[in-house]
This record gives sequence, structure tokens and C-alpha cells, in this order.
Amino acid sequence: MNSTKKLWLGLATLLTVSFSVLLWTGGEIHREAPPMPDRVVTVAGDVVFTRANIETGRQVWQSIGGQQLGSIWGHGGYVAPDWTADWLHREAIATLDLWSGREFGSRYEELRPAEQAAYRQRLTDTIRVNSWNEAERTITISADRALAIAEVSAHYDSLFSADPDSTWLREAYAMKNDTVPDAGHRAQLAAFFWWTAWAATTERPGKDISFTNNWPAESLVGNKPPTSAFMWTVFSVLFLIAGIALLGWYHAVDAARHDKPLTLPDTDPLAMVVVTPSMRATAKYFWVVIALFLAQILLGAMTAHYQVEGQEMYGFAISDILPYSLTRTWHTQLAVLWIATAWLGTGLYIAPAVSGHEPKFQRLGVNLLWVCLLIIVVGAFAGQWFAVMQKLGLDNNFWFGHQGWEYVDLGRFWQWFLFIGLGLWLTLVGRALWPALTRRDESQSIVTLLFLSTVAIGLFYGAGLMWGEHTHISMVEYWRWWVVHLWVEGFFEVFATAVIAFLFTRLGLIRISTATVAVLFATMVFMAGGVLGTLHHLYFAGTPTAVLALGASFSALEVVPLAYIGFEAYHTFKLGRAMPWMERYRWPIMFFTAVAFWNLVGAGLFGFLINPPLPLYYMQGLNLTPLHGHTALFGVYGMLGIGLMLFCMRGMKPAARWSNPLLKTSFWALNIGLAGMALMTLLPLGILQLIAAIENGYWYARSAEFMQQPLVDLLVWMRVPGDTVFSVGALALAWFVFRLWVRPQKEEVALPDNSETIGN
Amino acid sequence: MLEFYPHIKSVHVYAVLASGSLFFLRGLLVQAGVRWPMAAGVRYLSYTIDTVLLTAALMLLTILPAAIYANGWLAAKLGLLVAYIGLGTFALRRGRTRQVRAVCYVAAVAVFVSMYFIARTHDPLGPLKLLTS
Repeated sequence: MNSTKKLWLGLATLLTVSFSVLLWTGGEIHREAPPMPDRVVTVAGDVVFTRANIETGRQVWQSIGGQQLGSIWGHGGYVAPDWTADWLHREAIATLDLWSGREFGSRYEELRPAEQAAYRQRLTDTIRVNSWNEAERTITISADRALAIAEVSAHYDSLFSADPDSTWLREAYAMKNDTVPDAGHRAQLAAFFWWTAWAATTERPGKDISFTNNWPAESLVGNKPPTSAFMWTVFSVLFLIAGIALLGWYHAVDAARHDKPLTLPDTDPLAMVVVTPSMRATAKYFWVVIALFLAQILLGAMTAHYQVEGQEMYGFAISDILPYSLTRTWHTQLAVLWIATAWLGTGLYIAPAVSGHEPKFQRLGVNLLWVCLLIIVVGAFAGQWFAVMQKLGLDNNFWFGHQGWEYVDLGRFWQWFLFIGLGLWLTLVGRALWPALTRRDESQSIVTLLFLSTVAIGLFYGAGLMWGEHTHISMVEYWRWWVVHLWVEGFFEVFATAVIAFLFTRLGLIRISTATVAVLFATMVFMAGGVLGTLHHLYFAGTPTAVLALGASFSALEVVPLAYIGFEAYHTFKLGRAMPWMERYRWPIMFFTAVAFWNLVGAGLFGFLINPPLPLYYMQGLNLTPLHGHTALFGVYGMLGIGLMLFCMRGMKPAARWSNPLLKTSFWALNIGLAGMALMTLLPLGILQLIAAIENGYWYARSAEFMQQPLVDLLVWMRVPGDTVFSVGALALAWFVFRLWVRPQKEEVALPDNSETIGN
Repeated sequence: MLEFYPHIKSVHVYAVLASGSLFFLRGLLVQAGVRWPMAAGVRYLSYTIDTVLLTAALMLLTILPAAIYANGWLAAKLGLLVAYIGLGTFALRRGRTRQVRAVCYVAAVAVFVSMYFIARTHDPLGPLKLLTS
């Protein structure tokens, strides 16, 4: 058996085992999820909440943007509080004040430390008791707790209405007035928030940790990091070091093998590529990429600005028409949409180029898919606007409005439409690639891998269709992370590795056999950590300890290949200068090099910063999360999207002279701007929040009291220089693309003597 | 933020003076045929000052009440800012002949002076207001 076959077999085995374990874990999460009661009653039998209250409350929360406005169990936006932690703290204080008022005639905070400690212990002893009765499907609470719940519910009723007493807080949380205009819905919303807080502090049967593994940190109710978080953090670091050592050994052995030097082509092998009608039709995909990218930046600026002026934009009451939860929804969705569009365009462009085959009606398919994508973006975004403005109604929200799950916010109808669109894309790419896939030559393996990564991108979005309107939130989170982690962080990564290596083989810069082995090996290494690494997002989402153990161990392995990404960066950079004609690909190659750099910094360093259970216990939902999010999502996949787009444009416009100054400005401004945003705001602000969370509890790090400090304001303003530089980069790119089609300048291209298509 | 208003305004004013002085000097030397004002280091210094200036301006906008938009002085200043940037690029780089560069330079300096007086008087007429008062 040759080494390629062995690697294929290894990859198949690895994926089978990893997905089996991941599915088994899903079963465990389902079995161990915090129970949803039919009724919550007091010891006297009074009904406080019903299941319908809690479930409708969740629908209300989803309709206002859900995770895009504040967070639940640490998952969501960062300006408004984490509603679980906020509720828990408010309920704890309300209970303590009730007791101290009754027995001392004063508030809890006015008591002496010893008295406070005694009350804290009393609260911890009572609130952590699990009173869930499975036979009757009820949760029983004390009369005092019911009083505290009523007090906190009144606070939320005021906050989500237009009550002037809560104006300051709404501004601090970037909430519009009358976020939930219906008083009944506000009461149901409170029921849902309470249930998440109940799960966060109620101990699992027979255990001394809560359903959320004691998350969030809250000393008033005895929520502190569980022992398992510490243990698995230590083990994860050990696994990381062992993994790095092992891969280092492999690289050392690999470096000893010397291939014969490759004879590089004298001219650009891709210069003679026959651009078919369907390939030419992909140009509009890239114009859309630019438009969506610019729109995303604008919405990002608005979202960031809401952190300073909660309801306004430089004096204009913008939240009345475009509130924070909407700008953030569109900002995060557009990130995925424009990057995905760049990749869809790339797939459609390179498939006929590789096979030299233009199937019948391929151009029609490309055009049809493009129209579908536009309809999805416009339709889904319109639905979200109507939802957040509370004009759609809860009955239609799930299908056509705002699902409230970050990155998978589209209404279910639009999700299906997108899934069908991805299926169409897959079909179009597959039928164009077919001759190359069935050709028995040495390219077959790498073409197959490239095709399989497109299949995975097409099909794995389907995980986003696995939950229903009332599926348990722990299970929704499980499937949501299949999409966000497996789809975005897993198969995007495989596609990225495969497509870059593939393009280099087509340029004649690396051997097909070398590239095949390298890509298969890299895929195995990525997937070894990547599949089960999904679970690191779920440590505190109402999941059992097994999730914490598996997530910590395998997500540490995800960082292993990134530790050696320098090899790839150097190799890519060197290939960019291999031959004089490679100057034509200078900027795509530079963007590919940036992909490697941000893979190390954004995904590797800033990712591992928040991966292990103990750090994440405090860091989840702080500004250290968007630090990783921005530098990894844009830094890696955004840069790759731009690099691929430029690569395709080089082929589409072979005779156009490229503006070096424009691309240089764009490249450096995007990189420097991203670094500025990360280092001048997100990192220092995240560290300040982290200190606050460790010292005062998680709620405080997310509170208005903390987030409205002058120092935090100043750090938010420090985004402006970085964001401005970044925007200059995006505008320069947009202008470059515009000039490629509008009054382009021509240059002479040296052509190979006997090329027909790049596939031959 | 309100408590930092005087500091931010000082940063804004000093950045305006630094930006204007640098442009005045660079423009003068470019007209005289000197090349170093267009060197990378000087250009990056100019970008840095302008970014600080922009940041401080945006911070001031969020601190001040919406009444700042009344009578249109801010709109006039922003409108002239666009003209200033356009004229400035032609004065330093884009102007094809020496004459074009010189005319644009003088016009840009005049626009800058107008913006200065508009900001000082909080009146869209700016220097004209000074003449008529």
C-alpha cells in the first residue's frame, strides 16, 4: 500500500472514530441536559412559572436578536450583560436583602463581614439544592425565592420596556426603548432568564456542581470553577506540548527526505487558461464579495459605536431604525456570507479550469445561484429587521425572522434555501470537476480531496437544520457549534489547505505527489483535534463533565499544527518569489502568507488563550472572545477569501495591469488595522474584564458599572485608528477591483508555447 | 466622557495645528521642487496625525449635544474638509503640472484657513463673519 492510500485510510478511520465519539457526546448532552419543568411552584403550591412561560420567553428572546443582544450561559454579544449571570446576581442580592431587612432592618451590603458571610452560606446552602421532581415535572422553590424572582422580574420588565427609570441602563446595554413592547412577553422573557440562572446554580443529581459546571463565577451562591476544569486544563497543556513534540519529530524526519529539485516553468502555466463563459460569470460573485465586505465594515463600525452611545450615532437616534442587535446580527452574518461567497466563486471558477470541461448550462447555473444568494441575503436580513423591530410576531419568527443563534441567525426558511443553494453549488462544482475526478492520473487524489472539502462545506451546513423551535437550548448549542466550529473552523480549514496547495501544483511550483501527501497529512492533523475540539465551546452549556474532558483535550490538539504554521508561511512566501513571472501572483501569495500568520496569532495564540476550561470559565463572553473571533475569522478566512478572489481575477483578467500601490495599501492596511483593533482595544479591554471577573464575579465584568468606566470608554475609542486604517485597506481593495473592470490598463503577458488549459 | 472634554478638545486642536502646519510646510517645499516631503516617513507621520485628529473629532461629536449641528457650521466645515483633502492631494501628488499644483496648494491653504475660522466662530460664514462683524 503506498503512502497516499495509507493516509486516505488513516483519514477515513480518524473521521469515523471522531464523529462516532462526537455523536455519542451529543446523546449524553441530550440525556444530561438541565430539565425543563412543566411548572415552577412555591412550597405553598403557588405556580410561579409554567413550561409555556419559559419556552415562549425563549422565543421572545430569540425574536429580539437572542445571542446578538447580551448572552445566555456566556454565548452571545458583549455590550449587554450575560442575562444568566445578571439574573443570578440580582436574585442573590434580592434574597440577601430580603433576609437582612427582615432580621436586621438593613440591606445586605450594610451588614458586618461576618454577618454577610453567614447569609452567603445560607443562600448557597438553599439555592444549590436540586428540587426537581421528575415524576411531577416540577421545580419547587421557597416563598422567599419567589419574592426575589418577582423583584428581579420587575427590573427586567422596566429594562425591556420604555420605562424612563431604566433609560441609563438601556443606553449602557445598547438596547432600544421598548425592546419588548408587550408586557406579557416581558414576563415570559423573565421566566426564561430565570430558568437559565436556575440551571447555572442548581446542582446535578448526586453531584456538587451545577448543570452548567458552576458557570458563571458568583461567590454569593458558591459558583466557583469545578475541580474538573482545573484538572483538564492542566492535561490539555500537557497534550499540547506532547502534540507539538510529536509533530516536531515528524517534521524533522520529513525534512531528511529530499525530493529531486523541481524544474520550474519559465512562463506562467495559467496564463493560457481558457476562461469559459461560466468562469467569466463568476466575476459578479466577487463584486458581491466587495459590496458585502464594505457593508460588514460599516455595520461593524456602527456596532462598535453603540458601545459608546447606546442608542445614538453622533447625535442621531439610529437605534429607532437600526438597533444594536440588528447591526451586530448583520455584521456577524455578513462575515460568513462574504467569505463563503468568495469561496463559492472560487470553486465555480477553478472547477472548469481544472478539468478543461464546461458542462452544458453551467453558466446558467452559476447565474441562477448568484441570484439565489442575493435573494437569501436580502430576504433573510429583511426578516431579521421585522423580527427585531417586533413587527413579525412570534409565530412567524422561527421560519422567517431571527432565530437568535449567533452565526446561524437566519430564519429556518432561509436556512433551507441556503442549504439548497450550497447543494446547487456542490452540483455545479462536481459536474465541472467530474472529468478530472475520474481521470486516473496523479492529480486524482488532490482533486478528490478538494472536491470532498467542497462536499463537506455544502453538507455540513445541514447541522444547522437539526434543531426545532422548542429544542432544548443545550442541544441547539450542540448543533450550532457543529456549524460554527466544524463547518467554519474545520472544513473551511481543510478547504483552505487543499485549495492553496492545489493552486501551487497548477502553477507548477510543487509536485503533485508532495502536495497530495502534505494536504492529506495536514487534514488528518487538523481533523484529529478539530472534530472533537467542537466540544470546547460547550463546557458550560448545560453539558456533562465528559464534554469538558474531551473538549479540553482535543481543542489543545487543534493548536498543534498551528505551532508549525511558520513552515507553511515561509514556504508560501518563498514560492511567491520562485520565478520572475510569479510577480503576477504576488498579492494573492501575500494574502496566503497573511493567512498563515493569523492562523498562528488569531487562531493559535488568541484561540488557545480562551480554549482550556479554567481560563474559559472566566473569559467566556468577555472581549477576549472577539479578540479571537476577529483575528481568526477575518485574519484567516477573510484573508484567504481575498487571496482566492485575487487569484481568480488574475485568470479572469490576464492582460490587465495590476495596481501595485493599491494592493500594497490594501494588504498592509488590512493587516495593520486588524492588529490595531486587536491590540489597542480587544486585548487590553478583555484583560481588564478578566481581572474583574476573577476578583468580583463574572456578572461584574459584564455589568454597566464596569463597562461604563472612563477607561473602558477610552479603550473602545482606541479602536478608531485601527478601524480607520482597516477601512482604508478595504476601500483600496474595492477601488482596485473596480478599476479591473472599469478602464483597466493593459500589460504584455508571456505565454507558454504549448499550453491549452491548466488542467492538461 | 464629559469629564475628559477639555483634554480631548486640546488633542483635537493641537492635531489640527500639527496637520495644517505639516501640510503647509510640505506643500511649500513640494512647490520648490524638494522631494523629501513626499518620503514615506513624512507621509506616515501625516497619516498618524490625521488619524489622531479624526479620533478626537469623533469623540467630541459623541460628547457634545445634538445642538452642535444647529446653524450648519459643522456641516460647512465637513464639506470644506472634503474639498481640502481633494485639493491637498492635487497640490502634493496628483497635480500634473507645476501650475496646477501651485493653484491647488493656495486653494487648499485658503480652505484650511476658512475651516479654522468656521470652527472658531461656530458660524458657517467663518472668515466672512469676521469681516462683516
